Amino acid sequence: MSGTPVGRAAAAIAIAVAATMTAACGDGAGDGAVKLSIGVFSDFGYDRLIEEYEAAHPGVRVEQRKVKMEQHHTQLATQLAGGRGAADVVAIEEGSIARFRRSKDKFVNLADHGARDLRSRWTAWKWQQGTADDGDFVLGLGTDMGGLALCYRRDLFQAAGLPVDREAVGALWPTWADFLATADRFTAATPGVKFVDTAQNVYKAVLDQTEEGYFAKDDTFIADTNPKVAEAFTLAASLGEKRQTGALTPFSQDWNVALKQGSFATTTCPAWALALIKAGAGEEAAGRWDVAAAPGGGGGNWGGSFLAVPAQSAHPREAYELAAWLTAPEQQKRIFKETGNLPSEPAAYRDPEVTSAVNDYFNQAPVGRIFGDAAESLQPTYRGTGDAQVTPVFNNALGRVESGRQSTKDSFEQAVREARDAVR
Amino acid sequence: MGRLDSRLTPYLVVAPFFLVFGVFGLYPLLFTAWVSLHDWQLVDGAQRFVGLTNFRALLADRNFWNALGNTVSLFVLSTAPQLVAALGLAALLDRGLRGRAFWRAGALLPNVISVAAVALVFAQLYGRDFGVVNHLLGLVGVDPVDWRGETWASHLAVSSIVMWRWTGYNALIYLAAMQSVPRDRYEAALLDGASRWRLFRSVTLPSIRPTILFTVVVSTIGGLQLFVEPQLFDPGGTALGTGGTDRQFQTLVMYLYEKGFRLFDAGYSAAIAWVLFLLILVVALVNFTLARRIAPKG
Repeated sequence: MSGTPVGRAAAAIAIAVAATMTAACGDGAGDGAVKLSIGVFSDFGYDRLIEEYEAAHPGVRVEQRKVKMEQHHTQLATQLAGGRGAADVVAIEEGSIARFRRSKDKFVNLADHGARDLRSRWTAWKWQQGTADDGDFVLGLGTDMGGLALCYRRDLFQAAGLPVDREAVGALWPTWADFLATADRFTAATPGVKFVDTAQNVYKAVLDQTEEGYFAKDDTFIADTNPKVAEAFTLAASLGEKRQTGALTPFSQDWNVALKQGSFATTTCPAWALALIKAGAGEEAAGRWDVAAAPGGGGGNWGGSFLAVPAQSAHPREAYELAAWLTAPEQQKRIFKETGNLPSEPAAYRDPEVTSAVNDYFNQAPVGRIFGDAAESLQPTYRGTGDAQVTPVFNNALGRVESGRQSTKDSFEQAVREARDAVR
Repeated sequence: MGRLDSRLTPYLVVAPFFLVFGVFGLYPLLFTAWVSLHDWQLVDGAQRFVGLTNFRALLADRNFWNALGNTVSLFVLSTAPQLVAALGLAALLDRGLRGRAFWRAGALLPNVISVAAVALVFAQLYGRDFGVVNHLLGLVGVDPVDWRGETWASHLAVSSIVMWRWTGYNALIYLAAMQSVPRDRYEAALLDGASRWRLFRSVTLPSIRPTILFTVVVSTIGGLQLFVEPQLFDPGGTALGTGGTDRQFQTLVMYLYEKGFRLFDAGYSAAIAWVLFLLILVVALVNFTLARRIAPKG
């Protein structure tokens, strides 16, 4: 029987099934250790920390899953909906946490495990972003934050007859209007080079320096009436109208190519963006980039994440302990040194080890001090539950102005209309 | 007993397919219909029953009509030339070429490469500032084209990706069919003094008619479900899924994805899925009928 092709195939299948089952059993039983998984995106700098954590907690095994940021959040949403598949500890980005706050019953209330005792670790606003119900429900523990600075190309500034020293560069633009004036000077001197990479980033930086953006603090939609939105939009769009932007999608493939070609001179940079610029521009541009203070008097937050524990986790207690350890100032400090992600905890960003940090690639810029200062003056914008829906609508609108397809006025009106529909 | 056996066995043998279809095909279909009748949030599940509200909203949604228009445009632009090119390619491969296996394997090559890789490469080729296509156009004095910004340019670009991937695949299917056409038919026609073109039209085409029908239906379904190529062509990638800053090349499935997985509106997304399903049924039927006419029985 087993000599016939069918018989052989059947035998092969039987073996395969048996093998799978053994593997599955092995996975379940193991050495009795608690298996935790942690789901992150881009670089959280956890590789070495996790090894250490495992060494200190012999009963715990941690598996790290890295996915691209957009996929990570979409995947998390479907996993929460399906009630299975989510990691024990999941990272949630600032732009998405408001939306997940609405589904807080899918998460463990970390206050039940004592998270409220850790409250004093974080700046007040970071703590607040991670909580719901006036602080009774702790959804996530803060990791890094954005901070805001402005990265610029020294050689291109020099060619345009602008100062290159970072203090002098920062002094060029106390306000955003000064930033626009600098753009005009730059373009007049070197018309072939774009002053900024994209209007979107300027827009975001300006808007992030206001208290409320698309949503009021009671979560009502105000993008159509909030003058700050229109102001930020018009300001950024004017760069686009004058063709002073590269009309690039931030952090896209084209953005990387343009970085490599050196076709733009400045980009707004939160702390985590330094790594992206370095990766895109490559080693041959080392020392050409530098970091100066952002226009508009510092402040402004872009990005930063939280660690949350889905309710479906089989080990909520252990998951919470891991999240609390990873977000402790001591660990956050080390992550800053490794990846440049700026801690959201005063004890960490005021630590001499952090404030004295310089970045070799960015011409020895004292990033610890620059971002530490930015962190001190930081007043984050309120993020509404619909922020993630509305943001792309306005970004697309800016893209239409940059590519010359629409006037600022028409584009803004269309964006407001679409945004209203999106949060209907 | 023996008769019962011979009557039952075929049903038993085909049953596994229908079981699998029931679980993975029919059930999701019906469940999607159920979801589409609700205000259904992706994470939080059903909020309340809303009847046909989602469908009514869909019909008044200009983004939906825009996506539908784009889908049809991309479908026509990519599928029709692709099948014609595949037929021509198959006819060439059917001849006694030197190194036949090489050419035939080559035809399938584009299809084996990961679509993500293909889309990334094409996205580079069609780059606005540093793309190869614009560079070549510049050599002959043509102004750079904003391949993602302009509606027609973006449709051409996406269609070219689709055609690159699927022409060879369809050509091989046609080739397989052509190879099974009895050679004596050609010989008889040649004796009657038929030209090459006449042979192709009057012998080859009618003989492979069922295969043409098959590819037309399959390409229709694939074309209307177009997703990965335009999604990856979008510089915003899956983060946006709007297909350009003004939805220039957002297809129906991209819109479905945007609504369901970026905006978490599963009910609305399910409504789009059902409309798409019905649309595919109708278009496939129309195509089927047309293709029967175009390739008449010999």
